Amino acid sequence: MDWDQLELNPKVIAAIKKAKLKSIKEVLHFSGPDLQRLTKLSSIDVQHLLKTVSLALRNNCVLTGAIYICTEDVFPDKRLQQLIALQHQLRTDVPQDVIKKIKFGNSIFIEHAADIDALFECVTKRAPILLSRGMVRLIIIDSIAALFRCEFGIQHSITKAKYLQTLGAKLHQLSSGFQSPVLCINQVTDTVDERGLAGTNLDVLARVSPALGITWSNQLLMRLMVSRLARELSRDTHAAATGTVVRTLSVIFAPHLPQSCCHYTVSAEGVKGAE
Amino acid sequence: MGTSRFPPSIWGGDRKRSAEPLSQLLLRLMSLRGRGLWFRRPERIPDAWAGSGSPTSPSPRAVELLFAAMQRHLGSYPLSPGVRVKLVSAGFQTAEELLELKPSELSREVGISKEEALETLQIIKRECPVDLSRFASVSISGKKYTALELLEQEHTQGFIITFCSALDNIMGGGIPLTKTTEICGAPGVGKTQLCMQLAVDVQIPECFGGVAGEAIFLDTEGSFMVDRVADLATACVQHLHLIAGSHLEEEHQKALENFSLESILSHIYYFRCHNYTELLAQVHLLPDFLLEHSKVQLIIVDGIAFPFRHDFDDLSLRTRLLNGLAQQLISMANNHKLAVIWTNQMTTKIDKNQSMLVPALGESWGHAATIRLILHWDQKQSRLATLHKSPSQKEATVLFDITAQGFRDVVVPSPLSPPVEPSGNPRKRSRDGREEE
Repeated sequence: MDWDQLELNPKVIAAIKKAKLKSIKEVLHFSGPDLQRLTKLSSIDVQHLLKTVSLALRNNCVLTGAIYICTEDVFPDKRLQQLIALQHQLRTDVPQDVIKKIKFGNSIFIEHAADIDALFECVTKRAPILLSRGMVRLIIIDSIAALFRCEFGIQHSITKAKYLQTLGAKLHQLSSGFQSPVLCINQVTDTVDERGLAGTNLDVLARVSPALGITWSNQLLMRLMVSRLARELSRDTHAAATGTVVRTLSVIFAPHLPQSCCHYTVSAEGVKGAE
Repeated sequence: MGTSRFPPSIWGGDRKRSAEPLSQLLLRLMSLRGRGLWFRRPERIPDAWAGSGSPTSPSPRAVELLFAAMQRHLGSYPLSPGVRVKLVSAGFQTAEELLELKPSELSREVGISKEEALETLQIIKRECPVDLSRFASVSISGKKYTALELLEQEHTQGFIITFCSALDNIMGGGIPLTKTTEICGAPGVGKTQLCMQLAVDVQIPECFGGVAGEAIFLDTEGSFMVDRVADLATACVQHLHLIAGSHLEEEHQKALENFSLESILSHIYYFRCHNYTELLAQVHLLPDFLLEHSKVQLIIVDGIAFPFRHDFDDLSLRTRLLNGLAQQLISMANNHKLAVIWTNQMTTKIDKNQSMLVPALGESWGHAATIRLILHWDQKQSRLATLHKSPSQKEATVLFDITAQGFRDVVVPSPLSPPVEPSGNPRKRSRDGREEE
């Protein structure tokens, strides 16, 4: 990293080089006080350094990443490593040397939230730090439903609604404040009769509807539903022959999209579209 | 607001106030507005004041000065303390209230001698920058109308068409001006689509049945998609070109010269409000905006429920703020002759062990809008619009569709009986082109 290209005081640049910080990413991994200790600079200088570096990062756009908040199981790290290793096979449109240079693992921040308070703390305190430094531009919550469905019984539906609305508002705030998309994963619930589908445009034949009801639906800008097609219905003969499961991604609602769907398969190297 | 004093600091005293939370400050400001004092238009104004306006339509600055004079608190006049105390305890607070009375009436009302009453009135008139005795007998509070005048006004008042003729029919022509309309529905049913469509439709030139106005869009949820609005605008322009092609009059072609994608998008004034404070502040500032942009005929608030449904532990505060907001919007609709539309969410209500979907924000909020439209699905996944509440039309439900071109009628696959007979609305002739779709 050529520190001289950034608009920094020469004394600051010298201090960074002396502290052997080689890249913007390394600088941003430390908190303010830690940087002060490492570089022996004043706090004002460190603030200026952090601001300049974040700006450079945002303009650069290469080193941004994602924050992945798990609420259910442990994060499937092995699968992530597999995807990273095979990324060049999936993205044949990108030159191989470009892909090999990117250190994907360093840009994915994984948080575990075992209960609602931990989730709120993550969303209100930890995510904004990463977002403000430009280190992440995507927030993924996997899954919203898990925590809310188990911690609240029927008699607490008002409290549950309040928490959902507060969470929705907070995510909206982060998304519009930092211009970053937020992707939430939800579960589905079986619908036995039409009452469960009140207010949705899903068929009774669909048999499943999104969990968390209309309170959560009101917080969303758009909703996508993924499902598996039975093998017999798949039109992709190749897939049917090899036994790959064809899945469907459909737009349930979005302000700028018609209700459409597409098909895809999941293989070792990742998600690929299918006819 | 009970007997709370009019804060003279607003009009230029220097009473120090301790810091108060923003919500309380907004409540106070809104109570001033909500009393309708700001929006009253005087009947006659002396010519010297007219400035750039005419006697019947005064210039904004003249209006401001007049109001400031009339609303000035009695405490700021050099009256004797004894008289002042008696005036206040009799309930008089502003200059306007005093000037309506003759000295003998004033002395009887307040309990002061006739000389004191006369002197008081003289002091007030002397301090006024204009001779208010000219219309001291005419109450500044509200123009007087007869019902006949109102009927004539209603017949000529415009409607904003939605391009779904079935919906326009049940609403008596479309979204009416000077009234507030609420659109409720579950997520994804088409509320934002309808709002975006109306923001385009309000700009349709008059010879095509539109009101040739501009639109203000207040977005609280971030659901305004410019690309989609561009699609709707392009489709609208193409549609009007088709109609113009079939008409021989030149005025249609001429009107379309200024009706293009760029002009449509540049006349939608977009504001993003991230929480209820920003929304209240933005609505509070709208009257000034409307004075500068007098062609605005439509105000849309997309997502009036969203910012008010979290962050509120004190529900009575929420009700007060919502009522104040509704009052301001209603005043603007009336005074500037524009249509106000807001969208509301649906929520579940448990009633006798049965759950049903009802509009959010509570029962009392149902009174805020004059007209209420509820969008929903039926069992066959078609979209329906129900006119739930209207002062002049009966309750009805129609089918509608959302296509790539926007909000439209449902296309009937086979030719059936002729379309619904038009009512006596003279704007109907422009709809013929649409039936071809």
